[in-house]
Amino acid sequence: MTLTSAPRRAAATLPVPPSRAPATILAVVVGVIILIATAGLDIEWTELGDVPSRVVNYLQLMFADPNWDKLPRALFETWRSISMAWLGAIGCVVASIPLGMLAARGVGPTWLRYLLRGVFAIIRAVPEVIIALILLTVTGLTPFTGALALGIAGIGTQGKWVYETIESAQEGASEAVRAAGGNTLETTRWALWPAAAPALMSFALYRFELNIRMSAVLGLVGAGGIGSMLANYANFRAWDTVGMLLIVVVVITMCFDLISGSIRRRIMEGARPRGMDRSH
Amino acid sequence: MTEQSPPAQSSESSAPWSISLADVSVTYPNGTRALRNVSVDIGAGEIVSVVGLSGSGKSTLIRTINGLVTATSGTVTVGGHDVTSLRGRRLRELRGHIGMIFQGFNLADRVNVLNNVLVGRFAHTPTYRTLLGLTTAADKDLALQALDSVGMLEKVWTRASSLSGGQKQRVAIARALAQEPSIMLADEPVASLDPPTAHAVMGDLARINADRGLTVLINIHMMDLARQYANRMIGLRDGEVVYDGPAGTATDADFAQIYGRPVQTDDHSGSQR
Amino acid sequence: MTERATAPLQLPERSRRRWPAVGATAAIGIFTVLTCLPAIGGVDVDFSALVRNWSNGATKVNQLLHPNFAFLPRTVSPMLETLAMAVAGAAFAAIVSIPLTLWAARPSNPNPVTRQLVRFIININRAVPDLVYATVLVAMLGVGTLPGFVTLFLFDLGVVVKLVSEAIDSSDHPYLESGQAAGGTQAQINKVTLLPQSWTLFANQWLYSLELNVRISAILGIVGAGGIGRLLDERRGFYMYGDVSVIILEILVVIVLIEACSTALRRRLR
Repeated sequence: MTLTSAPRRAAATLPVPPSRAPATILAVVVGVIILIATAGLDIEWTELGDVPSRVVNYLQLMFADPNWDKLPRALFETWRSISMAWLGAIGCVVASIPLGMLAARGVGPTWLRYLLRGVFAIIRAVPEVIIALILLTVTGLTPFTGALALGIAGIGTQGKWVYETIESAQEGASEAVRAAGGNTLETTRWALWPAAAPALMSFALYRFELNIRMSAVLGLVGAGGIGSMLANYANFRAWDTVGMLLIVVVVITMCFDLISGSIRRRIMEGARPRGMDRSH
Repeated sequence: MTEQSPPAQSSESSAPWSISLADVSVTYPNGTRALRNVSVDIGAGEIVSVVGLSGSGKSTLIRTINGLVTATSGTVTVGGHDVTSLRGRRLRELRGHIGMIFQGFNLADRVNVLNNVLVGRFAHTPTYRTLLGLTTAADKDLALQALDSVGMLEKVWTRASSLSGGQKQRVAIARALAQEPSIMLADEPVASLDPPTAHAVMGDLARINADRGLTVLINIHMMDLARQYANRMIGLRDGEVVYDGPAGTATDADFAQIYGRPVQTDDHSGSQR
Repeated sequence: MTERATAPLQLPERSRRRWPAVGATAAIGIFTVLTCLPAIGGVDVDFSALVRNWSNGATKVNQLLHPNFAFLPRTVSPMLETLAMAVAGAAFAAIVSIPLTLWAARPSNPNPVTRQLVRFIININRAVPDLVYATVLVAMLGVGTLPGFVTLFLFDLGVVVKLVSEAIDSSDHPYLESGQAAGGTQAQINKVTLLPQSWTLFANQWLYSLELNVRISAILGIVGAGGIGRLLDERRGFYMYGDVSVIILEILVVIVLIEACSTALRRRLR
């Protein structure tokens, strides 16, 4: 192409550029899929132009003068959401540690391992909100059932983290205990647990962080807490209260992320240096 | 100093530039004094090796010349331009006239050789053209000629990651040559290469000095290479110049003085004395 | 055990302090108790209500276990709408994520002010749960796919910008120095070297965000943002649990398929 204007000397020996056809075909295919998807959306694209101005307008309604009168109620509901998240996390962790351990290679029997891993995989594949929604239809819409739903919906992922952690902790330490004549229970207590505990603690906290977001979502479908309050005021288009509630959600979520994140970091960092201190 | 013409206008012929460091000190924010009152004059067209142990300030010295490190005090003058006073756009234009190669080659591994070499045209290309991917025929021409001159033309479409160490350094040299530089800086260019390849790369640098008349400054810690390929040698120890004289006649005792310890076997590249 | 007639061993003092463990346990205990006090907003732990509900829940479970496959044809069009939202949201977010990521990463943006500003906005964006966005946007823009599309767009932006900019921060960029030495502006260095170098990081996260989108877009309809979730919510409201279970199975299959495609594509990225 541009090679005609390139120097004679260089052009004479210039190798042929590699074919770009595969990349071009891939780009065209991806582009067509995106175009079809975009065209298939039931959206008036001409309206999209004034979406930003409408959003800005609503943002002004929400945040120019948030309604702080409802703050005490919002904090009450926030605590309800946090409680759901916390109890759900405890339930999830308490259930997933034994189940995950049984699903780890070399701990439980093979048939049980495959059964548990299959159950974990199915729970993971279905969006957590849907699992929770089904559980809530069956057990009724209360904060307690919300916590229960959070606990069960999280088991798929949490169980997977547990057995992966246990399996990675298994090499080394557990062989030593086995070599010293320990049985499965003793191996678990004296080799697997000490090696895996920091990571498991960290995952437990992470579950709590995830549940904080999820509990707000469950509230939206009626389980109570800050999500329910937000859904109500959004339906009434009470923008100043919605704005206040969004601020509360963002601040609370960021605070808990920050606290939980720093504790997790300390757990994981503390796990290593202390062990190294003892070794010399 | 009198009014200087902007560096860009003196670019047509890449005439060699002189380098002058006057009482230059560099102190890093962590308190390390990397250079202490260094004064060095290097004439246009010289080929000079800078010798010293790691941590002696070689890398800092070479980086003050193109402003990658700013001198804490003293002045660095390159081709009549006061580097220490230049900022932003003017500094970038000046850097466009100073080619540099590195110990780690500093190529973008996932980018093909041609685009790696076109990095050398940055200072001579408006940013919008680069962003739109509009390469002029002249720039491409320069890049291809630079690649040809180091014998890497047939690798032009290859990704940098699939080249050997010696080939990567050659591409890096081509990148510097594509700048049509007036000065060539090399920071430990052969420390990551095996001895035969090291000699080849040093030979390339010497040839650039001989054929194009460029001022060449090479940081190196291997005595035999420093003696063989440079005309002049500057020894650094703890940020101070402790030797400045002809390279070929530098004795082992001179090196022992620069290194602050007796000469050891790994101070040589290990082949073809 | 063999008896040994030596003097008692001199143990060095045990250095590990016990109180952090005790304190942590106590803190967890107190926190748990506080979360169970309905008076201050905690959860009313009531197992008897659970048992009562379960008896009539059992019939619902039974219905769920008998999917009504005759309903399947009616799910096709909402499912396509869901997929369209997922793809379009991921695609628009992918385009916008490029400049934002470059602003948010240290190697590509040495200016701390703009870098921290973008990071701060992204962190706020990520603190809002996806369905909360959808709820508020449905109230703003009306029921339909538009609020769903905007939700996915915002969500993906948070995921991609955060993860890719952190990945860029933690990898080595030797070519930055050579770009600077050649007199390049940061924009030139980013375009010619940093962006091609980081392209697999981007592509990986784009595919990941597409996977997440399929999961999220399936439920967005629950709050009125279009797609299969709306049908799910409607059928649930009519107590048609056989239909609900067909929809869930379909969602499951689509998610597994998309993740398989995405994994296959990702393996080819190098």
